[in-house]
Amino acid sequence: MIGKLEEFPEGSHRVVTVGRRRIGVFNVKGSLHALPNLCPHQTGPLCEVKKVTGTTQARAENDWAIEWAFDQEIIACPWHGIEYHVPTGRCLTFPEISIRSYEVAVDDGVVSLEF
Amino acid sequence: MAKRATLDDFVVVDCDVHVHEMPSDLIPYIDMPWRVSLETIAANAAKYLEIGYLDVPAFSPGASGSSFGPVWPSSHEAARVVLTPEAMRAELDTINVDIGILFPDSMLKLATITDEEYAAALARAYNAWLVETWCRPEQGLVGCLVASPQAPEDTAAQIEKYAKHPGVVGVYLPGAAVDPLWGDRKYDPIFKAAEAADFAVLLHSVGIVHPTYPFNTHGFTSGFARHTTSHTLSMMANLVDMVSTGVPERFPNLRICFTEAGVAWVPFVMMRMDRAYREGRAEVSYLTKPPSEYIKSFFYATQPIEEPQTLADMVRLVNLYDGENQTVFASDWPHHDFDHPNKIHQMPFSDEAKRKIFGTNALRMFNMDEHCRRLSLSQGAAAR
Repeated sequence: MIGKLEEFPEGSHRVVTVGRRRIGVFNVKGSLHALPNLCPHQTGPLCEVKKVTGTTQARAENDWAIEWAFDQEIIACPWHGIEYHVPTGRCLTFPEISIRSYEVAVDDGVVSLEF
Repeated sequence: MAKRATLDDFVVVDCDVHVHEMPSDLIPYIDMPWRVSLETIAANAAKYLEIGYLDVPAFSPGASGSSFGPVWPSSHEAARVVLTPEAMRAELDTINVDIGILFPDSMLKLATITDEEYAAALARAYNAWLVETWCRPEQGLVGCLVASPQAPEDTAAQIEKYAKHPGVVGVYLPGAAVDPLWGDRKYDPIFKAAEAADFAVLLHSVGIVHPTYPFNTHGFTSGFARHTTSHTLSMMANLVDMVSTGVPERFPNLRICFTEAGVAWVPFVMMRMDRAYREGRAEVSYLTKPPSEYIKSFFYATQPIEEPQTLADMVRLVNLYDGENQTVFASDWPHHDFDHPNKIHQMPFSDEAKRKIFGTNALRMFNMDEHCRRLSLSQGAAAR
């Protein structure tokens, strides 16, 4: 258990300690997601971000025009700016990399992480 | 099998950390009439490379960072600053750094200033402030004086003034927008004074767009492209200039270091210059040996260290310029692209090579011991 559901309102995020793990818990548009607070690049505190943002993308089918995408779903590591998609753990900078996600369970208003 | 060394087993000398000098900090140290200018600027506070006095309109757009384009929100904390030596000591402790070599923030753009007297006054004020406020060798914080390329004689006088100061170990040579490049003989007084003072000289650039080569990068469409070139091309241009004008022949005891460009460019320039020397020697007949011999005697700071998929490639790359004895660790703390020492520690260098790169090469470059004591100032110290 890491807290009550009302402690994780929509649009919020915080880092919780579970045993020896530091885990970022994000409420993105009403869904809870949990990621390790550790960037695999240089071990930066990935989830200790001041804000969750979107980012840009460009696609061939739109003639490579810059588009705003993944609004409220992106964190950039505070140390070096490597971007991750919170709902999936996918790294945008290195597509071959995904960081693990923890299962988040909500039971009777209580939030817990499953390992 | 011997136990693999940990970071704690090494003395880590960080050859590039940045203090943040606000205009208000320098007001008590700057001469009139320039104090009035700083007081005027201080009333319009800005941070990190956004100081008005170091922004060339239309060429160095500080207000939007290094970008001419749109500004997207991001949680990347790209504008970190450190305002006190206490904070610096605490932060360096968190990244395993024992000794930090202090560089400025805003003064990285000093060479863009067109008024020679103003540039020299700013450098003098910064140096006085740095020495009085920041240089604490007993806490592992020692500094580099800022050289004003606009005023070589004034810079030489500054070097002489602080030559015996225990908290000063080097001279920072601004790379961004410096014109002419650092090989020009107008700078000889600076090198002569640095050699006499037993100071290393360290070139350091910054990302700006400026009509001066190699900063005329307005053709790029992104800050990403400009940042890729701003530091590396500056170091390459200045190294080529310094070798081809014979700086290391005129000042054979001068220790020269190139910072914040990684190290992958070094083998390229070295081999390219050697090749050109085969047919161009008569143009540079004051050189007594191939360029690579000089290049292998310079020092190279690691940050931003290259991050190839195969880390063993870095060992091979450093070996190409005999870099085990000439490569020095740098973090660039607290800037946006700093390196944690772990990044070097992960590379398959031998523990002995790591010991050199993390610390002993830098101690040799600065001629100091691991307690931050300048050996040339120590009683009874053997001459270098």
